[in-house]
Amino acid sequence: MLRRLVQVGARELSRPQSSTASAEKWDLYAGVLVERLPVVSKSLNPLEKQFQDLLWRVEYENSLKSDHELKHEREIVQTELIKQGKIQVDLEDAGSKQTAQDLKDAYVEELKKFQLGSRTTPDDKANRTTSTDRCLDDTLYLLVQQKLGQQEHLILPQGKREEGESMRQTAERVLRESCGQELQVLFYGNAPVGFHKYKYPRNQRTESVGAKVFFYRASLRSGQVPENLTKFEWLPKEALNGKLTNAAYAESVKKFLL
Amino acid sequence: MSLLGAFARLSLQRSGAVAGIAVARCLHTTPILCAEPLKKKKKLDPQIVKQREDRKKKKIEKQIRRLEKNARQLKPVDELEVPLELIDEKDKRQRKLVPLTSAQLEERALLKKQWAHYKHDERVADYQIIDRLVLAQNKALAELRRESEELYQAAIDIDPQLLPVAVKGPVATPPIKDYVSPDGDYLHQSMKWEVK
Repeated sequence: MLRRLVQVGARELSRPQSSTASAEKWDLYAGVLVERLPVVSKSLNPLEKQFQDLLWRVEYENSLKSDHELKHEREIVQTELIKQGKIQVDLEDAGSKQTAQDLKDAYVEELKKFQLGSRTTPDDKANRTTSTDRCLDDTLYLLVQQKLGQQEHLILPQGKREEGESMRQTAERVLRESCGQELQVLFYGNAPVGFHKYKYPRNQRTESVGAKVFFYRASLRSGQVPENLTKFEWLPKEALNGKLTNAAYAESVKKFLL
Repeated sequence: MSLLGAFARLSLQRSGAVAGIAVARCLHTTPILCAEPLKKKKKLDPQIVKQREDRKKKKIEKQIRRLEKNARQLKPVDELEVPLELIDEKDKRQRKLVPLTSAQLEERALLKKQWAHYKHDERVADYQIIDRLVLAQNKALAELRRESEELYQAAIDIDPQLLPVAVKGPVATPPIKDYVSPDGDYLHQSMKWEVK
């Protein structure tokens, strides 16, 4: 793999540089797609549920009886015999002995006391889109309010590349600037995952015709965007389309969403 | 004296330039002159020699045999062995269930087929997503290359920070906040096996 990359690189370096220079000048932007990965597994749909039940049933049919079940059966037979008066009740023994049924009841009681974590959170009910503690079984994507031209738009955080930076470095800087230092993310490699370009309005074109945005994927490790820094939202994929007002932009973003 | 003269002449002949100052230095002695008569070799009884060799051979053979014996003895894996009580009480432990009716069997077979279709569709959808992602990335890289070869080279560089990667998978229920897990005892159960 590495050798192939080196080969490709060497071939490219020997290529004349004139072909890479384009006639129009474009501004280079880096955008960051920050995703909060699912915390809990997806709920099963009816078919999955049905099939899981079948698998459990087959598992039960093929299993052998456990020690606990054998003990329980033995005790049932014993009590039956005692009722019929065929054997004597051992008074000393009967008081102290814990039957299998007693044990089972105790276990069930203990399980009932234990509260599992809820798959839905208060933020789900309040529909607080600024919280990452919601839609636990879905991936959430970060949108922030940014100024493009005169208008404010809710888009993936993006920013212009400065001289001497690689696109990856730009992406990291952009995220720091627009979302604060607290947000800890893991970038997935040096290569961009998506691309979008748009032209500036004709009256605003000075040197360059438009912007080319290279998107980087990153996953949230910890932290949150400070509330006072900017307006932002964490949204699942379905809600994303409603929020991205520009159809072409939404189309470009949709191409690299999972 | 005449002998010394002869030697001197010999040395002159050899070196050519050197005059007869260092006549004595040109005298060489060989190791043969330092030699002394050989010691007499102690003779051993051939039978004793043979006995010794036999003993050595036997010792090595014994070691080999011991190693071979142990080589066949593998460390038992408890988890792979069926407990003896299960084998003994198999009849007692078997569940006595009502055999499935043909309708039930039919239903199960149908469900399995349905499941196969479902998983197939899911897999195809996954492949399509992967294709779409690869396509999007290739397009981004091609566009980047058109802008600047340098940036493209930086983009296809390997990111060493990605390894080792740690991923916490999705779980059935989210972790409870500030949950203090009850303490348990640590029991070391694994057996120690030694080669005898």
